[in-house]
Amino acid sequence: MQGIVLDSVSKIFGRPRILGRLARTLAKTETYALRDVSFAMPAGKVLVLLGPNGSGKTTTLKLLSTIFFPDNGSVLVNGWDTRQDAGQVRKQISIAISSERSFYPRLTARENLEFFASLDDVPRRTRKQRIEAALQRTDLAELRDVQIMKFSSGMHQRLALARALMKQPSAVLLDEPTRSLDPGATARYWELIRDLPASGTSVVLASHNFEEAIAVGDSVAILQRGELIFYESTDGLNAERLKSLYADLTEVSRFRDELVEAAS
Amino acid sequence: MTAGLADKAVAIFWRDLLTSFRYRNGFVISAIAALGELAAFYYLARAVGPGYRPQGTDYFLFLLVGTGFFSCFVGTMNAFVRVVQDAQQSGTLEVLMTTSTPGLVVLILSALSTMTNNILQFLFYLAAGLLLFGTSLGSIHVPACVVVLALSAIIAAATGILAAAVQLAFQKGSALVWLFGSSAWLLTGTLFPVEVLPRPVRFLSDLVPLTHCLNAIRPVLLRGASLAVVSPEIEILAVLALALVPLFGGIFTWTLDQARQQGTLSFY
Repeated sequence: MQGIVLDSVSKIFGRPRILGRLARTLAKTETYALRDVSFAMPAGKVLVLLGPNGSGKTTTLKLLSTIFFPDNGSVLVNGWDTRQDAGQVRKQISIAISSERSFYPRLTARENLEFFASLDDVPRRTRKQRIEAALQRTDLAELRDVQIMKFSSGMHQRLALARALMKQPSAVLLDEPTRSLDPGATARYWELIRDLPASGTSVVLASHNFEEAIAVGDSVAILQRGELIFYESTDGLNAERLKSLYADLTEVSRFRDELVEAAS
Repeated sequence: MTAGLADKAVAIFWRDLLTSFRYRNGFVISAIAALGELAAFYYLARAVGPGYRPQGTDYFLFLLVGTGFFSCFVGTMNAFVRVVQDAQQSGTLEVLMTTSTPGLVVLILSALSTMTNNILQFLFYLAAGLLLFGTSLGSIHVPACVVVLALSAIIAAATGILAAAVQLAFQKGSALVWLFGSSAWLLTGTLFPVEVLPRPVRFLSDLVPLTHCLNAIRPVLLRGASLAVVSPEIEILAVLALALVPLFGGIFTWTLDQARQQGTLSFY
């Protein structure tokens, strides 16, 4: 199937490496980052993952990008298993991690993109053109020759998106992509994300922003303590309704009134 | 046409060159440290006196080749650890490991520029030692020198790959390099010939690849020995190179998969 499938996926951290079950019982250090999560997302759609801190949003992105392998279940990207066919999956995905520390600070924006383009097998004849286009789309063209140690957080986030777009992947994974952006840059970023499915690109985006979820998402999933507690189309939903739903479903329900009040 | 291996090597080399150039003070400090070390060995050799001629050669030249080669070998091992360590600390490791290039290839290509740099530094170290202290090597057998250097570089790279795997698994690859470096001072004949060691220790010495590298490079550089003369050591080096690269490469790939499984890829 084209698109993304998680089938009964669990990810467990702190599992002892030796002595198996006995060590697990004694150590009790296991933490389920994801527990039995399943969903199927068709290609060319935007899925927004919502959930409190530690609910498993970033873990889901890292499983899709092969940074993590699942402990149980399977993760498929366009039919390729992230564990068995990791190389194939890596050719098809790009991840923009929210950390600023995923570039070489002494290199310029252009030099950083050239480096990653080479490792990502972007053909030489189209490389310059793709890098330039990605810089233009993320409003970084004028900063192409600036060493990125001089970049702000927001610029780093836009550069991470430029790196993801330059590869022209079939799935883009974004971790809180607008966290450090000003309102104007955020609106432009949302516009960019909304344009991606037109070229068949799927997007999975982790966020805490309800407006963002409604603005860009075709579907929204809510995770809590590693469990998928909600997965629906955004049709008929608005930010207010989503906030209310979120407050009802998650542990923040005790703060529901404040949350809804803050939203209105 | 997709970017090939050479294209990736050039991209990584270019990244490292630009980064080094923009941190160029580090190069000056390394050069000053190397000159200080050379002077120390020169005066050590003078203090020991001209009567001491290990393996039939001047002690200063013995030290010059031994310590230069030792630094080159251990520096290469360390280069592999630093690739992983730097990527963990700079936050680039996770992104690098999601590119289309396999992790082992990224590691080897990333360490390649440092390896080249180490070999150049070794040659610079030799030249500086000879020029500054007015001495000279015998007539070097160039083909033998190239073969020994190439095999030694492959073995150093293989042990570096193992150290990188340790860095990935336990975040302590530099400890393995330190352990290797410390025991190598004693066991490999860097500062003195291994013949002076007790027999059981000499047995251990034979198990360390660097011993065979030094046993081969000293006669080639200092006495102009040909391939035929050092062929027993070259055979050992060739077997080690053929065995260690796939073995330690496999261990690194397995460790990388384990780190993905344990979720510890970016731990440091």
